[in-house]
Amino acid sequence: MFSPLSRRIAVAVTAAATLVGCSSGGGTDPGAASPAASSGSADTVRYAAPGSPSNAASDPHGLLPGESDLVRMALTYDVLTLPGPGGETLPRLATSWEPDETLTRWKITIRGGVKFSDGRAVKAADALFSLRRMGEKAAENFGRMEMFDLAASKVLDDTAFELVTRKPYAEVGKALEGATFVVPEGSTDFTGPVPGSGPFRPAGGDAQAAKFERNDGWWGPKPPSRYIEVRAIPDPQTRGEALLSGQVDLAAAVPAALVKQHADDPAVKVVRRTGATLYPLVMRTDTKPFDDRRVREAVRLTLDREQLLQVAFLGFGEVGNDLLTPKDPASPTGLPQRTRDVERARKLMAEAGYAGGVDLTLHSTTAYPGMDSAATLIAQQLGEIGIRAKVELAPADTYFSTVWGKEPFYLGYLGGIPFLDVVRVALKPGSPTNETAWEDKAWNADLEKALAEPDEAERRTRLGELQTRLRDEGGYAVWALSDRLDLAGPGLTGLPEGIGFSAGFIDQVALGR
Amino acid sequence: MAADGARFGGVPRVIVRAGALLSCASTVIFLITEALPGDAAVVRSGGRATAEQLDRLRAEAGLDRPLAERYVSWLAGTLSGDPGHSLLTGRPVAELIGQRMPVTLTLAAAALALAVPLMAILAWAAVGGPRPLRPVITGLVVGGAALPQVALAALLVALLSAAWKLVPPVSLLPAGEPPWSRPALLVLPVLTLALPAAAYGAALLRGAVADAVSRPFVRDAGLRGVSAAAVALRYVFPVVAPAAVRLLAVVAGGLVAGTTVVETLFGLAGLGELLVSSVGGRDLPVVQAVTLLAAAVVAAGLITADAVALAVDPRGGAAR
Repeated sequence: MFSPLSRRIAVAVTAAATLVGCSSGGGTDPGAASPAASSGSADTVRYAAPGSPSNAASDPHGLLPGESDLVRMALTYDVLTLPGPGGETLPRLATSWEPDETLTRWKITIRGGVKFSDGRAVKAADALFSLRRMGEKAAENFGRMEMFDLAASKVLDDTAFELVTRKPYAEVGKALEGATFVVPEGSTDFTGPVPGSGPFRPAGGDAQAAKFERNDGWWGPKPPSRYIEVRAIPDPQTRGEALLSGQVDLAAAVPAALVKQHADDPAVKVVRRTGATLYPLVMRTDTKPFDDRRVREAVRLTLDREQLLQVAFLGFGEVGNDLLTPKDPASPTGLPQRTRDVERARKLMAEAGYAGGVDLTLHSTTAYPGMDSAATLIAQQLGEIGIRAKVELAPADTYFSTVWGKEPFYLGYLGGIPFLDVVRVALKPGSPTNETAWEDKAWNADLEKALAEPDEAERRTRLGELQTRLRDEGGYAVWALSDRLDLAGPGLTGLPEGIGFSAGFIDQVALGR
Repeated sequence: MAADGARFGGVPRVIVRAGALLSCASTVIFLITEALPGDAAVVRSGGRATAEQLDRLRAEAGLDRPLAERYVSWLAGTLSGDPGHSLLTGRPVAELIGQRMPVTLTLAAAALALAVPLMAILAWAAVGGPRPLRPVITGLVVGGAALPQVALAALLVALLSAAWKLVPPVSLLPAGEPPWSRPALLVLPVLTLALPAAAYGAALLRGAVADAVSRPFVRDAGLRGVSAAAVALRYVFPVVAPAAVRLLAVVAGGLVAGTTVVETLFGLAGLGELLVSSVGGRDLPVVQAVTLLAAAVVAAGLITADAVALAVDPRGGAAR
């Protein structure tokens, strides 16, 4: 979360800097502006991540508002499983997850011989305790454990526990990805870090920067760097400037404009990860005019996706095909790209009874880069089929309380999460967070059946079909996906490849030479 | 305030005024922050919780209690030195403020140290400087006072950092070192804070100085051949001092307010940045404590101003 104020300031700074001509002089020497500023050494990687030093989370099982929070947790604690670069599930503290034939009782086995930082052994009871804690804090972690009956689950022995699902559920490995930080059983005070078994250990720091020192007893591949410093910096431009002036070694999620400026700069490495973020156009299917499927289709046919990609994301990304999770391994393949067909869209509008057009308000926010300009452009494009949309912008702090899940027509935000996570937070029947009012009973019944399908290939096919139906009939228009853009020092290695949760696991980074 | 003036004299009156100012400020701060749309429960749930879940989070944080009850318990806590816990992280507010204090104090102190002499020089130059330069200096002062900090910051970054590469454009303080350990990192934030403050102060002070130099005994001293510096120090300063100190209190308050922009812009984790993100996160105990602290700084400044006025003119300069 970052304030629109700071973003505006950043824009002003960039504009002024450009005026003076700083960006015209080719390569920038990252050290030139700050002879005294760098405290970097070969043993310490300094990472500027999105987040706010003020509301830096200390509870691994609650909301992790910024990536800096996720990064700190991922260094301190072990998770059960991890999403891999291609969206597949990788073992981490959990080494296997095996179901019974009903797919409701799962035996989760964790590594033996792992120790918390206070010397205690990590046991299955600690893992189950941590999952139960996540269950209790459902309101603060998007109900991440809701598929599990945690009360009925039980410890089997020191390294195994039985996890019970409420319904047959074949994607348990996926459900345990990324956020299942394991803490010692009985931990209650989370206003500071509790003992963890992760690759690093908290080693002090202050409100600005948290320091971590390598845990030499970690079970996994030895982290190449002895220290990692994590800085929470809310403003994307500031993160980028911090890297360019040599004050950090890695800056996450920087503005596309800055990347453009430094595309040919040998002193900086640009790290692009595709499909990280999308701003879907949300149309509530129970509210006029979007209760008519033809209107939703007309909107999808009218969007000029290429133009939107260029304007909102400065071309750093790819056009969308109305799929919410195109990088999910179960995403349907071989679908034709949706293309612009204004003629047909006009016909659909007329058939739906809107030949004379319709007046609407399109909500957006200044909180996410490019989301305001995307809304303006969408409103302009939709004018061609008689949708007269007035754009209304909410500031960051009221967007989620007054627009999200409440207004019938707005730009939403999804940050590279898997399909089943989207289902949980945005497509559950009857839920107040079901932003498009997607209540298709047949679809939901088929989803349940797909999740009860033990054969992985078959299950993926069925999940893919469900995504295709949602794409064509649902209330979302996904016009483009933006890349995640990081800036790094030229020699930096060991960055995670994936998006979403996997981007937060930076234990293998090293400065290089 | 006039009634206070009739009943109390001297020091007690100064204290009563400060107390009244602070209690008004506390009520206003509480009511305004409570009136912000949305709350910490919405923020903690990432905006994606059900109504029941939100109700539970609110109950846990005590946000479901009536406004008056919350005000009283907040006031009682604040007066007893315990401003409560953050609604987002559960950490004690006093600890959060304690962590941020050094950065903001360093910034404000450095900015004041720069702004005060600059303000005096500018005010003096605008009135008593070489005649052809006076309108130029007055123009600079008025223009500088009107310049938004954001614009000034952009200009300074563009010149000192981007063009001349003297200092870095952002100021990430090294972990675990005191904020003054790398002076180069403080140049831009301090200049951004101090320059408009000095201009603003000088613009207001100019009138008082003009007023003072036109007094007969000052002109007389000039005619007697006393040097300009000596005139300024011996004759003008005592006349201007009460106004100057009061002005300083306001300027100090302005500096504290300015840290919100400057710290956010340059990436410093001080009280200003804490305030900005706590407003965003609807972390009311933190917001209320930081704003009250800022109000206390202004109040302390005004007390000092009143005390100086009393010392210079015990017959009641403070009441004016």
